[in-house]
Amino acid sequence: MTIALARMRLVALVRGGRILAPLIAGLVVLGIIHGGGQSPAASAYGYSAAMLFPVFAWLTKVVLDAEPDVQRRLARVAVGAARESAAGALAAVAAGLAFTVVAIAVPLVMGAIGPPKPGETSIVAGVGLGVLAHVLALGAGVALGSVACRAVTRTVRNGVVVLVTGSVLVVVLGLRGSIAPWSVPPVMAVSRALAEVPVPGAGAFLLIVGWAVVWCGAVLAGYVAVRRRRS
Amino acid sequence: MRFDQTWFRYARRAGWALTEVNATVDPGATVVVLGRNGAGKSTLLQLAAGVLEPVRGAVLDRPPVVGWVPERFPADQPFTTEQYLTAMAALRGLRGSRSRSEIDQWVERLGLGEHRHLRLGALSKGTAQKVGLAQALLVPPGLLVLDEPWEGLDSAARTLVPQIVAEVTRAGGAVLISDHRGEIASLPGAIRWSVQNGTVVTGVPAPEPAPEDVILELAVARAEADQVMARLSAEGHRILRVREERA
Repeated sequence: MTIALARMRLVALVRGGRILAPLIAGLVVLGIIHGGGQSPAASAYGYSAAMLFPVFAWLTKVVLDAEPDVQRRLARVAVGAARESAAGALAAVAAGLAFTVVAIAVPLVMGAIGPPKPGETSIVAGVGLGVLAHVLALGAGVALGSVACRAVTRTVRNGVVVLVTGSVLVVVLGLRGSIAPWSVPPVMAVSRALAEVPVPGAGAFLLIVGWAVVWCGAVLAGYVAVRRRRS
Repeated sequence: MRFDQTWFRYARRAGWALTEVNATVDPGATVVVLGRNGAGKSTLLQLAAGVLEPVRGAVLDRPPVVGWVPERFPADQPFTTEQYLTAMAALRGLRGSRSRSEIDQWVERLGLGEHRHLRLGALSKGTAQKVGLAQALLVPPGLLVLDEPWEGLDSAARTLVPQIVAEVTRAGGAVLISDHRGEIASLPGAIRWSVQNGTVVTGVPAPEPAPEDVILELAVARAEADQVMARLSAEGHRILRVREERA
């Protein structure tokens, strides 16, 4: 029933055309990143994942806000509060994964990935790390977009404030030498790791994944807790 | 289902919309919630349906299947009537032929046949309200919550509401229904609650004719029945009963 609700929301999102704005924004970002000539796979994807993070957050807010408030409440009565909020996150993840496929394919199709120089990762390994970086950015985007949705923030203004402030903080607090790097998800950290030559070892990535899981888990748990009271 | 010391307010700084509600709805009962517009009827109904969570206290023993018909159906959705009902049936775990037969049945009963492939946004208010009614009934509800169900319905559909209420209660379901126009007269055996300034009073007695009253029997055209009732109630007359003369 969670899946049925996620599907209903995705269908409404596509049919109603609300998906277009974040989709176009995402494509523009990809065009800007990859339009300037060739770069190694790992660093190109690392940069792309960090730039797409706010797009993923916005996409999530659009997915969660697409349906009228009363319809969201009807869905809640039909499937229960927990499943209703889970279905929103699931729909956002599905939409984000679909866009991740596009984000991985675009530079390959555009010929923006250069052959590896000595010491750089192979293209295949770079694509693998790129998928990881996008999935981490998507998780963080879904978490931020969830707490920026209308059901939580209640007004359009508050929702935009949460979305924009959150995105800026993730970048600013994620910079090298940040005073509190652990307070934000590792979106910038993974981008930096992928730009290093050679890329760090598996241990560093495990740490980053663990950090992302804890951060996203905490924010999404907060979202579910708030949504129990705010229908 | 019962309200146990239930309090509700919409925001921390807002005043209490409902204070200390203690009330029980038994299986098979029909409860009509009376009160002026803005008295808190809709809030009470949404707490019963589980749309709102109490700020203090609890709503206990809610049946697993709840049907909620909101006061205004959200028609701003990119679905046709059939697509919408199919999706809502899937949320209730209905698929394939079972889903189709339930939808067919309610489309026919509610007279939605010619609107089946129309977009929700293109429906009139009354027709959209019927879609709202259909989605709540796809699976027989243990609790049916109807928020001003007569609002916007055409006269032919008006008599459907009491029929549906009777079917749900006969199957052991409870019905909670709000009414500010005196339509309660068409629901025989209904229990009356009233909401005033955030306080719920249960066991409101039905209006009894006083010794100096006379009882009029009127025949009114079906199409005008709701207007006549609203006018008579507004003038302070008490409507005791509405019945249909069946041929």
